[in-house]
Amino acid sequence: MADTTTDKPTESADAGGDERLAHRGPIQTLLTRPEIGALLGAVGVWVLFWLVSAPFGTVGGTANFLDVAAYLGLMAVPVALLMIGGEFDLSSGAMTGATAIFAILLANDINGAGLGLHVAVPLSLAFALAIGWFNGTLVEKTSLPSFIVTLGTFFMLIGAKLGFSKLFTNKVLVEGLDEAEGYDFWNGIFGAEWLRNGHVWDVREWSGLWLVRDEIWAGLLICGSAALLFGVFELTYARRSAVNIAGFVASLVGVAAALVGFVALTSLDGRASNQMFGALTAAGVILAVAGWCRARYERPDHSDNGRSAGWWQYLFAGLAAVGVAIVLAVILNAEDSSQLGFFGGSFGRVVFALGIAVVGVLAVLAALGRVTPGYPAIGAVLVAVPAISFLVTVQAARAILFGSFALIGIALLWSAAGRVRPSVVVSLGISLVIVILAFFVQAESASRKLRVELFTVLLLVALVLAASAVARHLSAARRSAPPPPQFGRWMHLCAAVGVVATVVFFVLEMADGDAILYAVITGVAKGGLAAFVVYAVVTAAFTLLTRDEGVGRALVTVGIGAVMLSVATRLLFVTGAELEKICTVGSDGEMRCPQTQFGVVVLSFVVFAAIGSWLLMRTQFGSWIMAVGGNKEAARSVGVPAARTKTTLFMMVSGAAWITGMLIAFRLTAVQADVGDGNEFRYIIVAVVGGNLLTGGYGSALGAGIGAVIWGMISQGIGFAQWNSDWRFLVLGALLLVAVLANNYVRGKAEKAPVKSSATKPDRAGITIIVPKGLTGSKEDKE
Amino acid sequence: MSTEFLELRNLSKFYGNIIALTGVTTTVNPGEVTCVLGDNGAGKSTFIKILAGVHQHDEGELLLEGSEVRFASPRQALAAGIATVYQDLAMVPLMSVWRNFFLGQEPKTGVWPFRQIDIDKAKMIAKEEMAKMGIDIRDTEQSVGTLSGGERQSVAIARASYFGARVLILDEPTSALGVKQSGVVLRRIVEARDQGLAVIFITHNPNHAYPVGDRFVILQRGQSLGNWAKDELSQSELTQLMAGGAELEELQHELAEAGAS
Repeated sequence: MADTTTDKPTESADAGGDERLAHRGPIQTLLTRPEIGALLGAVGVWVLFWLVSAPFGTVGGTANFLDVAAYLGLMAVPVALLMIGGEFDLSSGAMTGATAIFAILLANDINGAGLGLHVAVPLSLAFALAIGWFNGTLVEKTSLPSFIVTLGTFFMLIGAKLGFSKLFTNKVLVEGLDEAEGYDFWNGIFGAEWLRNGHVWDVREWSGLWLVRDEIWAGLLICGSAALLFGVFELTYARRSAVNIAGFVASLVGVAAALVGFVALTSLDGRASNQMFGALTAAGVILAVAGWCRARYERPDHSDNGRSAGWWQYLFAGLAAVGVAIVLAVILNAEDSSQLGFFGGSFGRVVFALGIAVVGVLAVLAALGRVTPGYPAIGAVLVAVPAISFLVTVQAARAILFGSFALIGIALLWSAAGRVRPSVVVSLGISLVIVILAFFVQAESASRKLRVELFTVLLLVALVLAASAVARHLSAARRSAPPPPQFGRWMHLCAAVGVVATVVFFVLEMADGDAILYAVITGVAKGGLAAFVVYAVVTAAFTLLTRDEGVGRALVTVGIGAVMLSVATRLLFVTGAELEKICTVGSDGEMRCPQTQFGVVVLSFVVFAAIGSWLLMRTQFGSWIMAVGGNKEAARSVGVPAARTKTTLFMMVSGAAWITGMLIAFRLTAVQADVGDGNEFRYIIVAVVGGNLLTGGYGSALGAGIGAVIWGMISQGIGFAQWNSDWRFLVLGALLLVAVLANNYVRGKAEKAPVKSSATKPDRAGITIIVPKGLTGSKEDKE
Repeated sequence: MSTEFLELRNLSKFYGNIIALTGVTTTVNPGEVTCVLGDNGAGKSTFIKILAGVHQHDEGELLLEGSEVRFASPRQALAAGIATVYQDLAMVPLMSVWRNFFLGQEPKTGVWPFRQIDIDKAKMIAKEEMAKMGIDIRDTEQSVGTLSGGERQSVAIARASYFGARVLILDEPTSALGVKQSGVVLRRIVEARDQGLAVIFITHNPNHAYPVGDRFVILQRGQSLGNWAKDELSQSELTQLMAGGAELEELQHELAEAGAS
């Protein structure tokens, strides 16, 4: 705040802070994004199939569903952009096949033009772009609905594909791509594949240098979650002007405790030690978070809610009591019907006798009025416990102790709830339930992945939830958005390029040597990984060493990047254990492993989704897309070249169709005349699932990509789960509907929540202004 | 007389055999509000569209700083410094305030393949400009669809003045608003005038026009009834002219009779 070097935005943002507006934290901002429903849906669908099928969560399964998703998503991203621009392209599906057939017929010298691929491939691009231009210009010049215009193009393309195929080859199959001149060169680009299992991040290959996959995954996930959590805190809570030393020390103690707990947890194996050190880790993390909040963020003003200061004693006492109840329930064996019998033997009897004597003396003193009657009463109870213990079985003790601790815990939590915001207690309660669920899963599940992975993830979720609840209670919310970090724009570029390139690197790592693009792309990707690492280090340094207020966004970037990397590691790499399961040792003693292949289509898809998203969110062109889709006349009147924008969008769709067509052609080398027909509706559906508005003006390119992944997971997952595939479309339809409804619900909630004191209408009011364009009523039909 | 900023001499427009507008003569100067009044179908929209470059005039002269001009497109009019705030507000309701504010003229940063909008700067400027108009926008990220009518007008006016408009044409800015919001918009008009803009205020409500106007043009059925400075005209005269004089008197009689009986 006193920092004079901060540039202007800070000043004005602070000065212009509006008391009517609660600063929208990153979580709320995230919830208003159009793709959030799809993202949650994707996670849900993945977990569902991962639970019910063994191979779905492996590298092979991932390659399988990503392949389907990528062919769809590659087109869905530009189709979504076009849809946001307010138009549809029904010819997009047929176009994918048309470019493939066009290229093969031009290249082939047996029953085609014999031009060779060096001419045919660029020509087919020109052909595709020309059709896109034609669609766009016609729609613009005539003001006819694009639905009708592109329907015309669609039928013309279908007819042309069939007609020309029959004309030249006398068949409905166009083949012979691999015999055309220049095949090897273009196959290196469009036919490239990356083999996965040959290059395993395994302790056997990387010994001494790297750990096994699971540890990299876990490590990245933990670091990423931590960075993300603190980044979100930075964006949500108001900074103190001076660091609170006591809080900082508490935070350090917490970190130390968590580390000790974690190390002990991983090095020891036993039920009691697991539970003890697990609890230590959790307590350490929560203490670290609480201490950090005390040290760094402003205290909230609690006066308005009438909370008393002692809330946390009740809260933690309550949590501790419930925790003890759980531990007791686990430690004391439910099967054991023997009697407890403390203080058995002569020693016990002596103690027992002495105890009775002391209680007697205390009773006399109490009778004389020298001590309060409480002391002999407590003494009597203490003496009674060993006496009763001769009568009680382990089972009964378990029931009594578990029940009483649980009751005390609940009572204390209830009491705390009266003193703090109920949401804090609810969050902590939920996290506790998740912990119990995690232990239940660990104890009861027969499946290794459920026992280990789900257990870990559940505990992590519970921990993050509990830590966030504590942080929320301890810290005051920001009133204005934080300024950008001081380390400048080029570092952000570094991060953006870095995150994308790193994911690409993970997909590509050690690919087939003969892919031409490979050498270039891996070079870029390795540079990107380096860029990301540099960014992460700089961010960490800035967070720890300076008082820069703006590191929140940077931390979030680093956190998301690390979590993405961890997910990529999890999905794209094989463990040693997995490898041993799927490989066979031949008679010559050599190990043979089935190869998992990732086509170049997956790479194109990732790159397309990233570029499309950036284009829409960050560039002038993106703004124009939303404007022409939202209110074309308005856009035109302020100088947006609406016709050019729309024509460019049509050409982008047809350009993507060309790439898809080439990928299909080089994968199959022979193409059916009807390939791709009918896919245009899938593209549109996937875009809608991803949160794009059917009437235009609003949406997300990334969402379309996620929608494609959902489609891929569902259509392949049903096979993996060995469900009857007759029901496939029923499941697909139901899940898609759920995804759309969830999206709608979340967005509706999020939009209403943050606006505090003004009677504003939600966006729905705005949506109705837009003139529906042809498809509005028929949404349900297609799904 | 020759140094008027924007001068219209006998401006006329025909659509085929329909005479949409004839003989409009007026002047527009910085720091002044020129009100164009007229009932529905009087030719107000045609008048705006000629100045905004959507249509071109068929007769008469349009002089900008003494030299004759003819705008072929909205972009040209915009480039000459004539910004129009349309009745439908020319806003995209689903887009955020800052995106609307900068639509078509986004501030950019970065080198070519990575060229992107300077979002922080855009948000900051949008907020500052709105504050200058006296509107404390809650969040520039909120969509325009959630703003009230008066706030939307303010965004449009602030946008026009920020992008160097010298002439601001307001097409019926008060017609869809309540009494209080109309007052707010009228205040914006005065503020824009005080900032040195030339304002052309199109309305059919003489009660809104008279307090803020410096000069009045009244249109009726495509004809210009005249061009008055404020001191040549009282409010009741303006109201009478606007409603076609005799017709209004008749109406007043009728109403008075109806009230008496």
